[in-house]
Parts: sequence; C-alpha cells; structure tokens
Amino acid sequence: MGNLNTTPELSAPEQQLLKDFLEEHRLFYAPDQEILRSHALEPRSAREEAAIERVNDLHRLNQVRGRIISAMEESFRMVEQMGSAPGAKWGDLVTAVFTASGDMSESSAGIVAFATVSPYPIKFIKKYWATEPTVGLRQGDGFIHNDSRYGNIHNTDQSMIMPFYHDGELVCWVSSTVHEGENGACEPGGMPASAISPWDEGLRMPPFRIVEDYKVRRDLLTFLQNSVRDPKLQYEDVYVKLFACLRITERLRAIIAEFGVDALIAFLRVNLEDTEAEVKRRIREMPDGIVRYTSWADSTLREPVLLKTNCELHIRGDRATWMLKGSAPQLNNRAINCLGSSLKAFILTGLVQQMWPDLPRNQAVFSAFGFEADERSLCNCDNDAPMPMSIQVAFRYLIKPGQIMNKMMYGVPLEARARQTVVVAAQYNQPATFIYGGVTQHLEITGNFCADINGAGQGARSNRDGEHALSGCFVFMSDTGEQELMEEELPMVRLVAQVLAKDRVGWGKYRGGLGYEQMVSSRGTPMWGFMTGQTGSEFCSAPGLFGGYSSPAYPLCRVKGINVFEWLKKPGNAERFPYSIVALMNDRPIEGGVYLTSPGTTFEPTTEGEIYMMCQGSGGGYGDVLERDPELVMQDLNQDLLSDETAERIFKVVYERGTRRVDRAATALARDAERAARKARGKPFKDFVAAWVKPEPPPELPYFGSWGDDAVIYAGSGSSRIVMRGDDIQPVWLPDPREVRIAELEARIAALTGSAERA
Amino acid sequence: MKRVSVDIGGTFTDCFVVWDDRYIETKALTTRHNLALGFNEALDEACSTLGFTRSELLAEVDSVRYATTLGTNALLERKGPRIGLLTTVGFRSTVNIGRGRAYGEGLSFAKQRDMPNADRPEALVRPEMVREIRERIDYAGTVLMPLDERDLRVRLRELVDAGAEALVVCLANAVVNPEHELLIQKIYVEDYPEHMLGSVPMLLSHQVAGRKGEYIRTMSTVLDAFLHKAMYFGLSALELNLCASGYTKPMLVVHNSGGMAQLNSTDALQTVHSGPVSGIAAAEHLARQANLGNVVATDMGGTSYDIGLVVDGGVKFYDFMPVIERWLVTVPMVHLVTLGSGGGSIATYDGMYKTVKCGPESAGSDPGPACYDRGGLKATVTDADLLLGYLDPHNYANGHIKLNPRRSRQTVEDQLCDPLDIDAVEACKLIKRTVDADMANGVATELRAFGYDPSEFTLLSYGGNGSLHACGIAHNLGIDRILAPPFAAVFSACGAGTLDQMHIHEMSTFLVLFQPKTKTLFTDYEVFNDMVAALERRGHEDLLRQGFAERDIRYRLELDMRYGNQRVTTSVVTDLRRLRSLHDVARIIDQFHRSYGDRFGEGSQSPAAGVRINTIRVCSYVEVEAVRFADIGPGLRSAPSPAPIGLRRCHFVGLDAPIETPIYDERALVHGVALEGPAVVTTPHTTYLVEPGWRFEAAAQRAVWLVRPQAGRGNPHGQPEHNA
Repeated sequence: MGNLNTTPELSAPEQQLLKDFLEEHRLFYAPDQEILRSHALEPRSAREEAAIERVNDLHRLNQVRGRIISAMEESFRMVEQMGSAPGAKWGDLVTAVFTASGDMSESSAGIVAFATVSPYPIKFIKKYWATEPTVGLRQGDGFIHNDSRYGNIHNTDQSMIMPFYHDGELVCWVSSTVHEGENGACEPGGMPASAISPWDEGLRMPPFRIVEDYKVRRDLLTFLQNSVRDPKLQYEDVYVKLFACLRITERLRAIIAEFGVDALIAFLRVNLEDTEAEVKRRIREMPDGIVRYTSWADSTLREPVLLKTNCELHIRGDRATWMLKGSAPQLNNRAINCLGSSLKAFILTGLVQQMWPDLPRNQAVFSAFGFEADERSLCNCDNDAPMPMSIQVAFRYLIKPGQIMNKMMYGVPLEARARQTVVVAAQYNQPATFIYGGVTQHLEITGNFCADINGAGQGARSNRDGEHALSGCFVFMSDTGEQELMEEELPMVRLVAQVLAKDRVGWGKYRGGLGYEQMVSSRGTPMWGFMTGQTGSEFCSAPGLFGGYSSPAYPLCRVKGINVFEWLKKPGNAERFPYSIVALMNDRPIEGGVYLTSPGTTFEPTTEGEIYMMCQGSGGGYGDVLERDPELVMQDLNQDLLSDETAERIFKVVYERGTRRVDRAATALARDAERAARKARGKPFKDFVAAWVKPEPPPELPYFGSWGDDAVIYAGSGSSRIVMRGDDIQPVWLPDPREVRIAELEARIAALTGSAERA
Repeated sequence: MKRVSVDIGGTFTDCFVVWDDRYIETKALTTRHNLALGFNEALDEACSTLGFTRSELLAEVDSVRYATTLGTNALLERKGPRIGLLTTVGFRSTVNIGRGRAYGEGLSFAKQRDMPNADRPEALVRPEMVREIRERIDYAGTVLMPLDERDLRVRLRELVDAGAEALVVCLANAVVNPEHELLIQKIYVEDYPEHMLGSVPMLLSHQVAGRKGEYIRTMSTVLDAFLHKAMYFGLSALELNLCASGYTKPMLVVHNSGGMAQLNSTDALQTVHSGPVSGIAAAEHLARQANLGNVVATDMGGTSYDIGLVVDGGVKFYDFMPVIERWLVTVPMVHLVTLGSGGGSIATYDGMYKTVKCGPESAGSDPGPACYDRGGLKATVTDADLLLGYLDPHNYANGHIKLNPRRSRQTVEDQLCDPLDIDAVEACKLIKRTVDADMANGVATELRAFGYDPSEFTLLSYGGNGSLHACGIAHNLGIDRILAPPFAAVFSACGAGTLDQMHIHEMSTFLVLFQPKTKTLFTDYEVFNDMVAALERRGHEDLLRQGFAERDIRYRLELDMRYGNQRVTTSVVTDLRRLRSLHDVARIIDQFHRSYGDRFGEGSQSPAAGVRINTIRVCSYVEVEAVRFADIGPGLRSAPSPAPIGLRRCHFVGLDAPIETPIYDERALVHGVALEGPAVVTTPHTTYLVEPGWRFEAAAQRAVWLVRPQAGRGNPHGQPEHNA
C-alpha cells in the first residue's frame, strides 16, 4: 500500500480532500518540522507594518526599549530569587518577550539559548492549539513546555509561555525558562547519560495549557509532580515562572499606557530588523571566504569513540552560512544527539559571548546567517534519537564562532564594527560538573547538578592571559556557588572545593585561564549516586589560537570501596591525604581502595566516603610559548599554577629554582635552540601530507563522521564500520557496552578455561 | 540639642552643626593627606557663623558623628596591608575563583557581558599569601578532621616570613562551629605575642560575618583586614584632632547598616559607603517627620546616580550580600544602588538603533565634560544641559568652573548631529530625554523588584545634578511630587545627625518552621530562643561597652525566611523576641506570607514546599535624640516671588520652540515663594530646573517642592502622549 501523503497521481482537488481528511482525523500533533527548521524571522505582518507606519520615531522606540529591558531585568531577578532549582539560583534561566508572530525580540540576562529556542513552541501553539477547538488560545493562558522536539535545548529545561492581549488583540508573547534539573528521567537530575531511547528522557511535554485564567490547574500540576522525583521542585517553579511572566505582562500594560500599543508592536519588530541589519553589516566587513574548525568528542558518555563535529563559516558579501556537513551520524541509542533547532541557539550564544557582546540578545543575531547540516547527523538529529545530553554536542559549538571568526577577523581593520571585543582563544567548553541524585540528609528526594559547571577557564587573549575559572562559556555572570550552602542542603562533603588545577592549561605567549579540581564524597545519606556529562578525557576540547596550546584532557577519577572519613580519623592519615587528583591517583595512599580512571560515568550509586574527582578545564592558549615573557612564567610559578618542569620544558625558561631568578641570556639561547629544533623536525607541507594523510580512518578506531571528504560519513570500527553518503545518513545503533564487556569477559573465561583444560 | 555631623567625601567635607534651633551647613575641600584639616576648616566656618571658637563649640556638643569615604578611597586606590589568608584545606582557590563571576561584580551590564575583556580586580590577597590548614567541620558543626596544630604553626610561620601585615582566618562552616578559628587565634597569640607581632592583626571570619558562604565571608574579612590600618589611623587622627580641640567624648562613626558606634566598636568594613547611607537615613527621618509616605532617595552627582528606598511603615531594606567596590561581601548594609550615570555621562551615537546612548562611560571630573575646557572631547549630559540653556556658563558650581558652550556645541555637532541629521539643540534634547529615561528605568526596576509602584513615591532629589533632571526623571516614573530636601547640599552630613547607636549581629541557621514531608510545624523553641539570646547578648555587650545604661537598650528581631529551597530570603521584622507556642510560629509564617506576596505578587507564595528561617538577626540599639526638621509641607506660607535676575532662552523636550525662561537666584528659596514652570533657579550648590507643567514651591529650611498638577501629567513636556 502506497503512502497517502506522497501519492503523486492525485489531482489538486483530491489532494485538498486528502489534506482536509488528515486534518480532521489527526492522530497526533507531532512536532512540526516546518516550524523547527526555520530560524528566519517571520515576515512583517500587516499589523506590524501599520504600527511601524504610525510610530516612526526611532527615539521614541528607544524609550520603549529601555522599558522592555527594565522589565526583563526585573523578571530575571524574580526568577533568580524565587526559583527553587539550583540552576535558577546560579543564573541558569531566562525571561523573554516575543512578537505576536512568535519571534524572540528581547531577552533578559541568563541563558540566551533558552530564549532562542522558545519561538518554536510558541509557533506551534499558534499554528495548532489556537485553532484546535478543544484547546484554543485566550488571555490568561499559560503553556508549560519542555520537549526539545517541539523546540528546546534539552528536556531538563522547562518554560512557561503566555500570550499577551490588549483589547482582545494578541500583541506579543512572554516566557520564563529555568533549567529545572530533575524531570523523572531514567537517571536523576534530568540529563540521563544512559538514555538509550526517547522514552528514557523523563517528562516530554509538548506545549500545553497548565494555566487558565492566570491560575495553575492542580490536576495537571499533580500529574507533573507525580512524574518526577522531586514534586516540591516541580510545584514551586511552576508558580515562579508563572509569576515572572505575569510581572512582564504588568510592565507591558504600563508601556502600552505610556506609549500606546502601536509603539510596543513596532518596537518588537524593529528591534529584530535593526539587529539583523547590523549583523549583516558586520558580516560584510569580514573577508569573503571559508574558515573551518573541526573538533571531536571522545566519548558517547558510555564508550570511548571519536565523534566529529564539523563547522565551517562561508562568507560572501553579507551572506554567511554555518556549514556543519560531514559531522558524525546520529546515534539512535545514545543520549548525546542534538537537534539542528537547538544547535543554532548555541551558535548564537557563541556569537554574543565571544564576538559581539554588544548586540541585543534576540533571535535576529542568528537569522542573518544560513545553516546547513546533514540530516540525521549528531548535530541535526531526527526525533527518534534520544537527546537529553544534547549539550555534549551543542557545547562544542559554543566556541566555534570565536575560533572561526577570530581567524576571519585577522585582516579586518581595528575600527570595524565587527570588532567589538578582544580576540580570545576558546574557553573550556565541557559541562564538567557532578550530577547527583538520592536522598538528602533532610530526607528529601532530589536529583540535580552542581554549580561547578559555571567556572570554566577562559581562553588566552591576544594581549593578556585568560582569566581562571570564569563564568561558563554559555552565559555571562553565572555563579559557581558556595560550598557551605551546597553542603547544607545536600549530603556531600567537598574534600577539595574548587582548587585551580596546576599545570593543566593551554599554554602560549599568553596562557589560558585555569580550571579547577573538584573532589567530593557523600556523607549522611541512605542513598546517593553520581553521574557526569562531559567528554574530553582523551581528546582536548578547547583549542588554542594562533599557536597556543589546547587545554589538556581531563578524565573522571574515582576511589571506590573506601570510606575516606573513617580513614582520615586514623592517626597520621590526615597528613598523608594529598588533596590533589594527580597525587591521590598516582600515590594511592588509601589502602584497599579501587582507583578508577574513565571518560565519565552514567549514574552510579556510591557509599559514604567514596571519592569522586573531576577537573573543570582550562582555556586554550594564544601564540607561541617561546614568546612568553619569562617573568610571567615566574609569576605563574610563584602562584603555584605550573611546575618547574613545565617552565623549563615547555617555555624553555632558564632560571635558578631556589630564587626563581631568570637567566635571560640563557633563556634566549634555549629558545633559539628550540626554534632550530622545530625547524629540524619540520618538513615541507607536501611531505607532511604524504606521510600524515590516510585515505580512511584506521580500522581499529571507533570513528564517526567524515574523513577528508565531507560527503562521505564513516561510522564505527573494524568489520562493523559503515560508510554512508552524507546526504543519506542512516541512524547508527551501538552495542550495549555492558554486553560488549560481558562478551569480552566470557571470551576471556573461555580462553582461560581452554588454557586450563589444555594444561 | 548641640551636635556636629560630618560627611567626608571624595571632593568635599560637608559639615552640619545643630546648635539649639540653629542649623548651620558648611563645606570645605577634603584634604586627603590629613582629613582633620578639611574638617577643621568646615567646622571653623560654622563656628564663625555662631561666634564661637572651635574648642568652645566642641566642649558643648553632645556628639561628633562621622560618615566617611575613607574606606572607599582606600579600596579604590588599593592601598592596604599585605594580607595572609589561612583557610581550610581544599579551599585555597576560593578567593581567586570568586564564584566565577568576580570579574563583573560592581561593573555595568555592558561590561559584564563583554566576557572576552573580563578581568578580575587586582587581588587583595595574592595567591602566594594563601595557606591551607588541615581541618574540616561539616555543615552541622561536626568536626570531621581535627585541626592539625603542627601544620598550622608551619603555615603561620610561612605567612609571617612572607611579610604578612594582617592575617585573615576563614574556615569552612566556621559560623556553625567556630572552634577551629578560635584555636588558631589562641595559638597565634601564644606563638606570636604582642611584643613580637603586635601590629599584625588576625581577623576571624565568624566574628566579621555570621552568614554561611565561604567566599563572601572570606571577602568580608579580607576587606575588613585590608581597610583596618587606613581606617584605624585615619579615624584615630580625627579623634586625636578632636581631643586637641577640646572634645572629650568618644567620636561616633556612621555604619553602612544605618546605625553608628564608637570608633572602638567599629569594623572597617562597616564604614564603607557610610556617606550615601547617611543620606538615606536622613531621607527616612525626614519622611517620618513630614509624613511623606514612600520616598525614593536619589543623589545625582557628576559620575553616578545613587538611589535608596524609604517606605512607609518602617520596613528596612538591606543588602545582605552587597558588592563593595568590586567585591561581593556579606554585611548587612542599607540597600543602596548606584546607577552609572550622572552629569559626566558620555553621550554617543548608537549606530544600530540610530539614536543616542548615554553612558555607562563617564568623563568624570577630569577631564570632565567638554564644556569644562579641560581637554574633554566627548559630549556629556552636562554639555547638553548647558546648550539647552539650563546652566549659567559664568556661575556653575558657585562660579568655580567656567563653562565653554562653544566647546559643547562643537563636540555635540561632531559626534551626534551628523549621524543623527539633526541640529545641536535637538541632539541635546535627545540626550536629556535619554538620560532621564535611563535613570527612571533604573529607579523603576529597583522599586518594582521590591514590589512597589513608583507612582506611589515621592522623589527625594539631592546631589549637584539632581534638581536639574528631577522633573524629567519623575515624569518617566509617573511621579508628581519631587522634594529637594532641607540642607540638600550637606544632606548626608545631616543624616549622620539623625542616627541611633546600633549594632547588628546575625547568625546562619537551618530552622524548618514547616516541614512538608512530615507535615509538622517547628516546636524546638529553645533552640531558636537560645540563638536569639546569644545575638542579643552580643549587641548588649557592645552597647554596655560604650557606656549605655541597660534600660536604654532596645532590640529588633529580624528573620530571613524562604520557601523550600529558594535562593531569596525575605526579611521579616517581628515584635516577638522569643517563640513560646505554635501560635507564635504561625504568626511568623503568616507575616512572611504577606511580605512575600507584596513583593512578588499575591498567590506566588509556596508554603506547601516548606518554610525555613535561614538567618536570625538582632539589631541592638539605643535611641537618641535626632535632628528635627521644620515642617516642610508645601503651601504653608506665601511669599512674593522675587524678580528674575534675567531671561534665558531654554529648550525643552517635547517643545519645538525655545522659551524665554526666567532665571532666579537663591532668593527664590525664601519660604513661601512659588514659581510656575518653566523657570530656572540657580543657587551656589545646585540648579533647579522647573520644566513646563511643573510648579516650584520653596518650603521651610530651604527645602523645595517641585509638583505637577494631575492635569499636567499627560503632557509634562508638551509632547504628545502617543504618536498614534
């Protein structure tokens, strides 16, 4: 039987009949790909046209802008203060206002990516619920939403969306979004690394009306509370987001009273058009051409692999396109797939974080760009793929605009508008933090993540070192929190709170900022567990710029089978405990402990006093290490940021170790010698290519993505490797690592048994 | 009453002397090298008005009170001792990391967003001067690892050898169990007795701040240590100067908590921002006496615009984690917000929106606005005010600064007129319109964040540029009443004369008043009461030490409460001093419920998620007689309007044509004089701009009302309400 949707021989009236039939007998209001694929601004509506014609005083619109920004700040502060989710307390939230068509015109401080994906559910509501007789759209409605497939970053974030009416007319929309954490997924905390299907992701809310006539429906809220581990959190934050939206609508009413409804409608539209025009102006200032920055994730969060995340920026005139073709294929039973609609929001975030922090934080920052990615790829997956850990892929794209555009900017005049800030190498871009779950010392069930995600090392700048452990690369002014407050609420003790990770940084003429070590144990809980969500344990995540070193790789380390608190009580042990990941893992002072190193872990129960350790990474370096001022090297030594070995071996500084007095002449000689050695090691590019380039990935390498030709995609290793066309990627299923391990062990047993039998 | 109150600012030392029913206000330039000189000059001027010598006056006054920016200046100049920090093992990078956001604290939103250019402020504790001590206490105060005394002695020696001039101790969870911090102090005193290191003070974090949060508590203690020396010597010199002039009582120092204490009971950190806080205290006192209702106190100077809230009913607004200069700390400080705009704010062309942007960059006082003719090449708000006709180029700042309008015109034309395609006057109107709206948005955001409607406030306006922009700001806020207060030129000094002696002590806690899981209310009254009693005891001792009688000591109990696991805590002031029954518990929960609803909206409360007390705070104080203002109500008296001293062509926002505007001098401040706008009143310390639609009324004690009849609200600038 043929597919009704694609029957070619139907006449136009018959096609209309079929369309009407399908609309009348709709089984499921699935995510609308037409909505999700477009990041362009909606065309000016007739209403907007009329409003702009009536209010054409740009200075007056500027006053409306001031009022809107004030409302955004006020509502942001409300959510930050009232919010119960840890994410809300550290700035992992946003509030925003949208045109009547659903385009995001202005957002508050916080996570701009959240606001950038919110137009999708709004457009869904407009297209389907507004006309659906059983739903409809009215003043006082509030829609809750979290499913990425209808437009979101990942399902741990929840939004409240409200239409705003004036005299019966839909004028605009407002929203409030918080990273809530716990959402009833197969692992606590809302971001299950072990999810192997969409059905493991916990709550999957398409936008639905939970607020009627400004009141929360308790039956629906109860359903949500009943679906998660932390019903208190779900209860509190629904109200918090609702009241933040209501506060924005109060301000919008005041704006209308002061400036008129046309001024508000005109501003929301003009704000977007002005932004888009400005972005195009800046693109025009950059040279035509293509710059590529490719990186690889080294794990699926369940097994070690190499996953290519490709990115090119193509510029011609004022047209610029982000080209992601050649990236790894989607993995249908792994948690790290990302939708194209979500990924675009991260590129936008990278643009306003690293290149153009002066721009308004709205959708038009990205609408000026084109976007192309292979279908069913890791960065443009379909709805069948699980995606609760989409940030694993998406975070890689946070730094790509900076890495690419700072190279494009090389020849751009200093006074160009495109140059709004200093040139900076990549900030560390992995969500290196512990996700936890269990029962607290106050007997509350919880699951969420730690604020350590908010302190990644900054990349080095063209004129100075990067800052250590700076607000995350996805937001400004986020907060790494206070350990005393964390310990008060959660059954965890920080053996190392946040200590800068010596020697683990991207070196260069200017070095990146350092990240920090975290060492934590659970205590005083009947049940607790940890998981992680970062990669980069073997393949560096944050590259250097113009000769600077990349950040190092950072594995997860654990000491299992011990109780460090009991061990510390024994005489002499406190002095032996090193409070350093490197020393603890190398010296292994706790007898009987099982010392483990791995890329990360899915949710793993822990007992009191077992030690979990990870490192928040550093930024990339800038320029050649041999050009670093030796006195800056000594300063880093004095501050215990690097070792003598690094100073001598990497920076080639000659000095007296006791006094740290630099021998400048000897340093110059050592550096000249190293330059000569580099030349000796060097070879012509043609020779390098001949020796280095292989026709395809080594067979033993579990490799996913293109290899040279972006139109050809590889997936897997050895005999199970698949080779596909980029325009026809088939989803990839990976074997369960536990099954693989069991098979290996059984084979080993069989081999040993066979050996024994032979013996 | 006979009293001297002083506010030593960065530029001027303001002095306010109350001598029975006489009130004298004087000013002198601040003498940074020796603050006593500026103080003496200001005081001598007051003495000459009264006909006394300095020592005659000082022998008679009940108190001398100081608010000072000494601490702020020391922080700005980064002048302080080399600090050594002792902290719990595993916490050595806490200060260096600064919660990941220390780069942006105290900066404008635009600078916070510019992360590639992020720079943390210069470290007050260099990383080389941090040492970890092997010890650990958990959140509940249980010792997980005893303090290793041998390890401590080694680390102490290292810091001393490295040249530490002050030592700070901040250990994890010390506010719950200070045992280890106190042990460190004991060992330090034993090993380094006064004759060895008497000048190296050691500060313990739990004694400086009672709240949890290792970073904020460390920074509070570090700032205290950093300022200690400068404040000690600076204020001691002032006290000695007073002694030499015949003053025999203890000098009183204004605290940023809105109280004051003797010098020997003052932490250095408590003095930072005490000047602006005194202004807010004066506003509170004035509002109470004059029944002003809700007041927003605004102080617009050359480079900044400070605002504070005073609301009817005595609700206190504190910042418990204020940013001082560039650092987040924890000290209960009167809520004070500084918006980055003033007369020096630079106006630039906004190429994206094709309009004008004001600030956050400022020309400051050096080089200052272009019209100062000191090399400033950027158009500022003051340049716009000059070209609009509001300022007298020959009589600005009491004639101290001659303004050059040609320079203003040149910069405005060069930088704004060409891209905007408008003439200089229109550009200046745009600057004024923009800066007024920006200020109003800043004020509105603050008021609304606390749940208030700006239109229900009186705008109290002081500071050099306040009265020039007050009408424009008030219009944007929907406010119809502006009061330039009595003694506006020395308002902060005047505020110091209104303060009580007060000490605030607080303690972090984890008291669950309603536990949703077990559905139980709090009954462990003894725990709560013991904590309150301990805090009262500390305040009691502070005040007894300063010579107050026990019967005069009062207490105010404040509880910082929250629902579930929220971040925000709402302060509840309760007249209960002890809990004795479930009714008391329910009463507190109910009070919290109402306060929260007022702030965030009725219905936003979530008691079902649990109700907690996070901090208990006790304000211990002694009420003393305060300065009394005269009845400053409008319309109490009528006086003939003085003749204008001239006419000037002024341009107003919303009006196409200029208006020949009457100019008045300070004779217009005679009680009862009323003027209809437009008018300009120029006095030695400020200029009042009475915009069209507004009315000027001089009240008692040279206070000035700017009021707008309701009918004028829709069209205060003559501009159409809507363009539609």
